[in-house]
This record gives sequence, structure tokens and C-alpha cells, in this order.
Amino acid sequence: MLESLLNGLAVVLQPMNLVILLSAVFIGFVGGALPGLSGVILVVILLPVTYGMDSTSAFMLLTAIYASTVFSGLITSILYRAPGTPEAVMTSFDGYPMTQKGEAGKALGIGILSSAIGGTVGTVALIVFTPLLASVALQFSSPEFFALAVLGLTVVASLGSDLLLGLIGAMIGLFIATIGIDPVTATSRFTFGSLNLASGINLIPIIVGMFAISEVLKRAGENSSHKAMKEFRIRIFDGAVLKKIRTTLARSSLLGVGVGILPGIGASTAAMISYSEAVRWSRHPECFGKGEANGIAAPEAANNAAAMGALVPLFALGIPGSGTTAIILGAFVMHGLQPGPTFMSANGELIYAVFVGLLIVNLMILAFAKPFIAVLSRLLNVPYAALGPIIIICCVVGTYSVQNSMFDVWLMLGFGVAGYLLEKINFPLVAIILGVVLGPIAESEFRRSLAMSQGDPMLFFTRPISATLLAAAIGIVTLTLLAPLWKRHRRRVAAA
Amino acid sequence: MSDRNTFLAFGMAGVLAAGTLAASATMAAEDNFPDGNITFLVAAGAGGGTDNFARTIQPLLEERLDTTVNVINLPTASGAIAHQRTASGKADGRTLDFASSTLVTSLAAGQNPTGLDQLTPVARMQSDVMALVVNPDKYEDLEAFMEHAREQPGDTVIGGTAAASPDKMAFLAFQDATGLDLSFVPYDQEGSTAANVLSGNIDGMFNEISSITGYTESGKMKPILFFAEQPLEGFSEVPTTVGQGWDLTNGNERGVFVSAKTSPELVNRLESALHEIYQSDQYQQYAERVHLDYRDGWMGSDAYQQKLQQDLKQYRTLLKQQ
Repeated sequence: MLESLLNGLAVVLQPMNLVILLSAVFIGFVGGALPGLSGVILVVILLPVTYGMDSTSAFMLLTAIYASTVFSGLITSILYRAPGTPEAVMTSFDGYPMTQKGEAGKALGIGILSSAIGGTVGTVALIVFTPLLASVALQFSSPEFFALAVLGLTVVASLGSDLLLGLIGAMIGLFIATIGIDPVTATSRFTFGSLNLASGINLIPIIVGMFAISEVLKRAGENSSHKAMKEFRIRIFDGAVLKKIRTTLARSSLLGVGVGILPGIGASTAAMISYSEAVRWSRHPECFGKGEANGIAAPEAANNAAAMGALVPLFALGIPGSGTTAIILGAFVMHGLQPGPTFMSANGELIYAVFVGLLIVNLMILAFAKPFIAVLSRLLNVPYAALGPIIIICCVVGTYSVQNSMFDVWLMLGFGVAGYLLEKINFPLVAIILGVVLGPIAESEFRRSLAMSQGDPMLFFTRPISATLLAAAIGIVTLTLLAPLWKRHRRRVAAA
Repeated sequence: MSDRNTFLAFGMAGVLAAGTLAASATMAAEDNFPDGNITFLVAAGAGGGTDNFARTIQPLLEERLDTTVNVINLPTASGAIAHQRTASGKADGRTLDFASSTLVTSLAAGQNPTGLDQLTPVARMQSDVMALVVNPDKYEDLEAFMEHAREQPGDTVIGGTAAASPDKMAFLAFQDATGLDLSFVPYDQEGSTAANVLSGNIDGMFNEISSITGYTESGKMKPILFFAEQPLEGFSEVPTTVGQGWDLTNGNERGVFVSAKTSPELVNRLESALHEIYQSDQYQQYAERVHLDYRDGWMGSDAYQQKLQQDLKQYRTLLKQQ
């Protein structure tokens, strides 16, 4: 393997390929930083360009763009609460409050470091364990996906804020997820005969509306809106912070790889599950959502690790792990390559060049993130009265470009108003997003599982992985609900 | 001559001139076709088979018609928006709808309000062969599969992509022809279906031959039945539906559509341009690269129109019976 890696390094170090990698990182930075414009779209735009290149350079370009967009979504997420990509939604929960406290530099530093570590762990896992991980991924079928989604949903109970509002939020999210054509029976649900609702509500209009637009609305109502943000300095390596987040970094990177390799589950879901786990394992869950360092480290380490993990089933089995990798798969076919179980052995040189390319991309992210953000942060000096409308324009263009749909734009603006109003009553928006992301997985995989077993629900408990995950979910809910009662009992005993 | 007469005379002349101009303008529309940019509405998301098809045609058509072609993906509602926009748009032959058989399957399932009477097919260019694929560790061949299905009714689970898709229609038609009692599980993505077959969690899947060659060559998956008239090249040992006495040959087809209001002349014009493209080396190389060369994809406007009508009728019957 070492020899193949060295050969790969030789290919990557060709000046032309270095230029390609560098420009890919830059394109990814810009694309990821613009709300609504995600990696999927960038890869699609650049696909035709790659037809004229040789396959190795083409895939280095596409995978590098993919990796760097997943990273750069955090910038606007932290600075303006306008997630640049769906993967960066969770990052805004603690990143933006930190910015409001005047610690934007610290927040960005944590984000950059966590991304680079997550991305590197993911890439190393990709290089070393691809065949092994791919066989693990195949152990996951519908019952396991269902159990995983249930486990993710239980975090609503431990989110710290009002449990009742959390449950309502999750229900709203689950409801939104049922809109559209039923994935199993192809019956229309809540579409009111509208074609625009037939394929359901896309995640992008919800995220961009609820977070970016609602924040602009809120700032527009504040008197201080003309005040420019303070200058900040990014510190990537900060000993004290690193000590605080190292456990989270380790856990989230591994969790990200684990979730990323599962076919059909992307980096956004990985970020969400990782954030939930960070809250769950923290000694101070009440700090999350208010500018907690671990709340940035968890989703950023996980989404970058998961983005690399999603390449595992693609390379090893020809099965895409996420939306963007599905398009990269299409690109392989157009380049005359044959994705499938023999892909790695047949195209070793290309794959190792791509691997080395990805490692270098993670280094480039670490090196170039700071100057890029420094340029970008000049925008911070622009008064919000001018910046707000620019953010809205980016949101409109980005949302439109996902499906070339004006309906999605109206939807996004609608969710913006809804998000603004819900925030006024301190409604936990994260619970809604949780429901929207995990709802479709839980529902359709539950029904697929029952179709697999001819309606026998015991299958969830006889399959070891799903049984373990479901037991964990039940245990966690019971514990979180009983904990306050136990505390009250202890207090009473102590008083007596 | 009075002023009034002069005015009348000029007026008449003007009307006449305008009339001739208008007439020559309509003539010009067909002579100078396309006389402006062309738009491809792709009834599927970016990066998939239908999108690749449209983007392969794009430069070839630009070259032949000396114009610019814009590609717009409209994946919403299985492409129903693309069909609707094509049907209700201008009938100037400059808006082309690139669609797969999902156009007919979604129509049969009642999810696509644009009927076949609102769209005119220009040509069919791809005809992908449907295959029943299994994990070779589970079933050796069609016989073993059928035996298992017969012995344990309802216990055999077949996967496919999407709930109202060519895969589902193949499943229904297969069940109808064999009289077997099978279960169908629709997945959102082809990859998930393949993963479940590879891991042995389900018994098999219906899929197009073009996207499984990677698996079959590695021996991890095995096609045990093709929906075709005669054995496919390189798969002489795999039985075909027609060989088994079942009249099922539908797979997934891809073609180009325009609004039904488009004049027959324009449709002809486009059809011959597409036919030239179909026969070109560039197109055939692409077809070979993506394994769409197992059978002839070309079908002209009239023949395709008839075939679509037949397919729609068959799919409606199958869905009603299920």
C-alpha cells in the first residue's frame, strides 16, 4: 500500500495536478461559503469541464471540491448563522452565539481545526480500512437504519431546553417529512394536488429559511443594525481549547466515519448525530446552544469525516454513500470507468492519487482557511444594513439553483418568517431539523423492514445491531425521564 | 386624389405588406429553425442517466443546428414539472423534454398530469434492458430462484428503485407472467437496492443492465433473467423472458419530447437531427461506454408514440391488478 501511496503522491505532485487541487479548494471555499450553493451543485457544474481532462485529474478535482465545500460551509454558519451547506447547520447552534459574544475568531479556529482533524481521520480510514469498512456498511439494512434514526431522535429528550417544546418541534419536523409522494406505496400525501410538493419539501429551503433568513429579519428589527462587527483574529491552535474539545474530536471523527460509510446517509446526518452525542456525553449539556466549544467541534469533525467515509462504499462497492458521491459515481461512468467491487483493484493508480489528493486538501484547508476568511471577513466591516440584503440574495439564488424551482424560494422565505416567529418564543429549531432529517429515514426504513419480514416486528429485536441500537434508545429515554425524579427523591431523603 | 383616398391606399398597402411579412415570418421559422437558443428540460436530477444522456446530446445538437443549447434539470415530482412546462410552452420546437420511461410509469400511477396527448415524442434513443439480478451465494440460476419462490409464497423479497418506476413495472409484469407470489421493496436510490442484494438482506432486484455490469463482472451479483427477445452478447447462458415464453421486453427507455402543438414539420426536422446524432461515432461511443449498446435504442416519432400508448395501457392494467 505504501508503494501505491508514494506513486499516488508522485502523480499529485505534478505541477498541473497541484494547480487543479489548489483551484478546487478555492472553488470549494467560495461555493461552500455561499448559503444554498452546496457541494452537489458545484460538482454538477464542473462535471462537463472534467470530460476534457484525464480521469485522475478529473476525480482529484471533483473529490477536492467536495471535501472543501463540506469544510467551508461553517464560515457563514458561524459568522451570520447562514449555513453555507446543509452539513454546517449544526455548527451554527454554538458557533453563532460565540460570534455574538465577540468570539468569532475562536469559533472559526475551533471549526477549522475540527474540520481538518475530522477530514484527516476520515481520509486515513478511507485509505487503510476501505474494504473492511465496506463490509461493515453492508451489515446495515433497513432495520438497522430505522434503529439508528430512532436513536438519533431520542436526543430531543436530552437537548436541555423545554422537553415539551422539543417534542412539539420534532413532531413538526416529522410531519414536514411526510409531505410528498409516499416512498413505498407511491400515494400522494399532503400535496394538495401540487406538483411542487410531490417530491416533498427539500432540506435546503427549510435550513436556509429558518436559520439565515430568520436571522436577517431579526437583525433588521434591531436598532444596532448599523453597527459593524468587531475585528477578530483566528486562532487555530489554542492549547486550552484543544484540551477541552479533544475527547469530542476523537469521538466525533470516529462517529462521522461510521455514519458516513452507510449508504444513503450523508454528512449532514452525521453532523446531527454527532452533535446529539456531544450533548448527551457532556457534563454540562445546558451550555450547548449558547456558544459551547464542543458544540462546534462535534459537528465539524463529524461532517468532514463523514464526507470522506461516504467515499468508502463508492470506491469499494460502487455504491454512493451520499448525494454528492452519487454524482461522482455518474462521473466515473461518463469517464468510462466501471464502478463496482473490482473498481479498486482495476484502478489502483487513480484511487491512490485521489487518496493522496484528499490528504493534501485537508492540509490546504488548514493552511488557506485563515487567509480566505480574512478576506471574507472584510465583509464584516460592511454595515449590516447592506450585508443583510446580500445574504438574502445569496439565499434566494442558492435555493433556486438546487432544483431550478421558484416554489422552493417562496418556501424558503416562508420558513424564514416561521423561524423568526418561533425564535421569539425560544422554540428549539434544532428539534424541527432533527425531525425533518431523521423522519424520512425512520419511516421508510421501518416500512421496508416490515416488508422484508412479511410484517413481523420481531425482526428489529432479532438482528443484533438494530436490537442494540434500539435498546440504547429506550435506555436513554428512560434515564433522562427518570433522572429528575431520582434527584428529587435524593433531595427529599437528604432533607429528612 | 383626396387625402382620404391616399390614406386608404397606403392603409391597404400597409395591411398587405404586413400580411406578406407575417407569412414570410412563419416560413422563415421553419427554414431558419431553430432561429434562437434551444432549451433542454431534463426530467431528472443532475448526474443521473437521463442527465448524462441530455448532456451528451447537447454539444452534438449545438453543432448540427448551429445554436446554443441550455440544459435545465427539473427533478421535482419525478420530472412531472418538466413535462408540464414542455407541454404548455411555446410550440416552436425549441423546448425539448428529455425523459425516461418514468414519464409513462408515473402517468400510469396518476402522478403526472401531463398526458401523452399533450406531448409529441420526437424519438427514442435508448432502450436499456431490464434484468432480474440475484446474489449468486443465494441462487444459482432462474430455476433455483423460481423454486424457492414457489415453495415459500410471499417470502421472496425483490428490491427496486422508487415505487412507481420501470423497476416496479418489471416486478409486476414478472409476477403476473409467472403467477408467483413475491414481495417488492422500493428503495430511494439504486445504490441502496444494490447494497441490500450484495449483503443478502433481500433476494434480488430488478435493475437495468447498464448500471450493474460492474457487479456482474466481479461475480458479486448475477443476472438470472433478461427482459429481451434473444440472449444478450456476453450472457449467452442467461435465459430471456421471450425464451421462457413470457412476452415481456420492456426495460427503461429514454427519449426526447416536444409540446403536442408543435408542427409535424418541426418534429421531423428535430427527428432527423437526432437520428444523425444517434448514428454519429461520438454518440455510439458514449452508448458503448455506458453499456447502452445491448440493443438498438432508436425509434422514430410515430413508432415511439404507438409504443408509449401500449406501455401506458399495460402499466395501468398491471397497477390495477396488484
